[in-house]
Amino acid sequence: MRALASLFGRLLREPLVQFLLLGAALFVLYRAVSPAPEAPPNRIVVDAGQVARLAQQFERTWLRPPTRTELGGLIEDHVTEEILYREALALGLEKNDLVIRRRLRQKMDFLNEDLGAQREPSDAELQAYLDAHAEKFAAPARISFRQVYLKPDKDSAMAHARAEALRAQLDAGSILATEAGDATLLPRALENASAVDIARSFGAPFAEAIDKLPAGSGWRGPIETEYGLHLVNVSARDPGGPLPLSAVRPAVAREWGAAQRANAKAKFYAALRERYTLSIELPAEAKAAAPKR
Amino acid sequence: MDSKHLLAFVAGATLLAAAFPSAAQITPSKESLSKLYPGTVYSPYAQRRFPSRPLWGDTHLHTGLSVDAGLFGARLGLEEAYRFARGEEVVASSGQPVKLARPLDWLVIADHSDAMGLVGDLAAASPEVTKYEQGARWSKGLRAGGQTAVDTALDLITTFSQGKVNKELLTAYSPGSKIYASVWEKVVKAAESYNDPGTFTALIGFEWTSLVKGNNLHRNVIFRDGAEKAGQVVPYTTQAPIGSTDPLDLYKWLENYEKKTGGTVLALAHNGNLSNGLMFPVDAQYTGRKLDKRYVQERAKWEPMYEATQIKGDGEAHPLLSPDDAFADYETWDVGNLDLSEAKTPEMLQYEYTREALKNGLLLEQRLGTNPYKFGLVGSTDSHTGLSTAEEDNFFGKHSGTEPSAERMKHPFTKTKHGEFKGWQTVASGLAAVWAHENTRESVFDAMARKEVYATTGTRMMVRFFGGWSYSKDDLNSRQPAFRGYEKGVPMGGDLPGRKNAAAPTFMVYALRDPIGANLDRIQIVKGWLDASGKTREKVYDVAWSGDRKPDAKGALPPVGNTVDVKNANWTNTIGASELGTVWTDPDFKPNERAFYYARVLEIPTPRWIVYDAFRFGVEIPQGAKTIGQERAYTSPIWYTPS
Repeated sequence: MRALASLFGRLLREPLVQFLLLGAALFVLYRAVSPAPEAPPNRIVVDAGQVARLAQQFERTWLRPPTRTELGGLIEDHVTEEILYREALALGLEKNDLVIRRRLRQKMDFLNEDLGAQREPSDAELQAYLDAHAEKFAAPARISFRQVYLKPDKDSAMAHARAEALRAQLDAGSILATEAGDATLLPRALENASAVDIARSFGAPFAEAIDKLPAGSGWRGPIETEYGLHLVNVSARDPGGPLPLSAVRPAVAREWGAAQRANAKAKFYAALRERYTLSIELPAEAKAAAPKR
Repeated sequence: MDSKHLLAFVAGATLLAAAFPSAAQITPSKESLSKLYPGTVYSPYAQRRFPSRPLWGDTHLHTGLSVDAGLFGARLGLEEAYRFARGEEVVASSGQPVKLARPLDWLVIADHSDAMGLVGDLAAASPEVTKYEQGARWSKGLRAGGQTAVDTALDLITTFSQGKVNKELLTAYSPGSKIYASVWEKVVKAAESYNDPGTFTALIGFEWTSLVKGNNLHRNVIFRDGAEKAGQVVPYTTQAPIGSTDPLDLYKWLENYEKKTGGTVLALAHNGNLSNGLMFPVDAQYTGRKLDKRYVQERAKWEPMYEATQIKGDGEAHPLLSPDDAFADYETWDVGNLDLSEAKTPEMLQYEYTREALKNGLLLEQRLGTNPYKFGLVGSTDSHTGLSTAEEDNFFGKHSGTEPSAERMKHPFTKTKHGEFKGWQTVASGLAAVWAHENTRESVFDAMARKEVYATTGTRMMVRFFGGWSYSKDDLNSRQPAFRGYEKGVPMGGDLPGRKNAAAPTFMVYALRDPIGANLDRIQIVKGWLDASGKTREKVYDVAWSGDRKPDAKGALPPVGNTVDVKNANWTNTIGASELGTVWTDPDFKPNERAFYYARVLEIPTPRWIVYDAFRFGVEIPQGAKTIGQERAYTSPIWYTPS
């Protein structure tokens, strides 16, 4: 109890608390001397605008206006909510409510995003963005290849010897790729596949290995994977590369917009923060742990 | 094809070309292609009418827009969620960088609809605003973008907060005077801009979060459509008077959406395990309304899928319901309902689990003419972090408070006097595999609607499952078994075609393990049926397995073994098989009994996510926490209905 009293005593000496108390006193005075600016607190007016808003919410859900009965229900529910809302505010229930704080923070983000996202970018702006981030919008390299699969063998040398022999047969044309090797559920060929596509089926190390093989160089390998051994024949290779704006406009516009928003958000917050002076008082133990500046 | 065949092929083609000089396309005769090769043309890719690989995605991701996600500190929004799913590195709400091992092919962001109300209209530059000096100035400044927009926003906010806004302008802003912006518009817009047909599909969706006394009746809603249709509505909520917690009202809303916009939409439920007996009713709904034709028809129509596995427990089977199934107790959450406001009692279980619902569906079909629980199976995360992470070694938790930290596995997830869901019990699960022809909204949605989908607990193994009356080993051994699969029967999610003279149905099933995952232990076929006395029954058959294991006298297959090194968070693929497949004939088939069949494919044991946590943070795993699991896939069933 004494601790509480002393806390109060200390609080009362805080300039901020003094300021707030002064403000509260002024507010009470103001309310006492000035005429009621709006409806008294125990009167609820549901004006035409509000009714229209309720109807609109209903209509956005059901794509038709509410019937008279439905509108009555909406208004009744609105009144219930308004009463509970006011009573909750009177009790100060909105204060330090984590949900409300986070919702309001989010609404500030929305506000800022909406404010910042009004403008359509010009072609010049998009072209500049594309030039600065060409690799992000480039077409990936694509490979077409066939593969012949061989089951793994406990004796690795045996498996490799078998693969070498089969490779010679394939190169000589004495066996067809569709008939060679062991049965597998892995695709026997991929066409115009990017490294990501190839990795999806064969894993990333295989995709990297096949990326090093020139097109039209016959049967190569074996490449070893977790599945077993693979002889591969790369038939075509498209190196990919930078694309013109016309080919990637939606993606560039999306990325440009995202960059603008991120930038605006940071600036907006920085500008707001400038209005505040900040003082952080770490408790003793945290002070000890905090990194030295 | 040997050289003799090749010669015949060339000769045949030449003859054909000579006989029909106008025929530009040469089709080899069936005889000229090898007997082992099932294609009707030489190129295995030409004229193919079926999907060649499953597309991986998540039907159930929350971002910071969901109130509960925001409350737990999720700062990531729609854009970050899409970027992450597409394979980009992002910074999680907890400040840690995170990236997927492999991108997803598609994503449904399903934020809670109850949070998507109207948020305000401050930015609207309508004529009634711009006729005032202040309004015009702000409107112009905001549209200028860049620093000007930032300055304008600050000016606007300051002016508002100081009450210095023109009175008439303020009136023009009064509610009802214009269209309000909703969060939904942001959701739709983000999906539009990240949807990239052929590369990445962003399906528009939301979660209808019906919670009745803490009992989970949630449904996710997925649109086939883009902004022009989905943007016409706002999502259905659970708050009366506009919204409702009764699924029948949700169905009305779905029906109304399709009728008014010409769009197409579906719903799928999840977490029956947290519904305390309400998810799959057999006699009456939670409202007391008896199940009737309308209920079963509507549910069958609107809910073609069920999310069978996710972070809050795996819901395929329960050990008490399936005592003969050695693998039924997988990541089971059966302490109580969603918020643990009520404890679970054993009689609730029969209305909560996937397999039981599939069985009861047969019963209801006999009783009411329609099977309300004829759904395909998917897994999804239900992650509330904006991060769809289902991999054990890259699991970012249920919500932002459970992103990687040394403590997360020790903190209770939910704890009340009725029980506790422990932190370590959260499941790094699941994923949805979709056999879509191409990666577009339409194609992915259509595969969902025809139930050609399967669930995994986070692994990306490939599973094919076909049912028919005449599959043989030759079909499986052919170079392209999927050709035979589609030709001679139906894929997962389908109905067995009419029985002619066959004695029993045959099923061709095969699986290829995840290229960066664990080997496979076994393939099982789960059969459920309604016997002659009207009782539902089930049986699990081991149909294909690795190595030379032999079932014991009771028919039980010995375990595959275990290579998990918990201390070093590691395992090896020295046991199990990279591929498994078989053609299986139902040995207990009775033509007059309704039945369903689905495949369950088990991987070899691997470490659970807490093992990676313990290894990376150097912390102890709590007593009693499960460290090892066998990840799995569940295919959609194939149904048999007596004619």
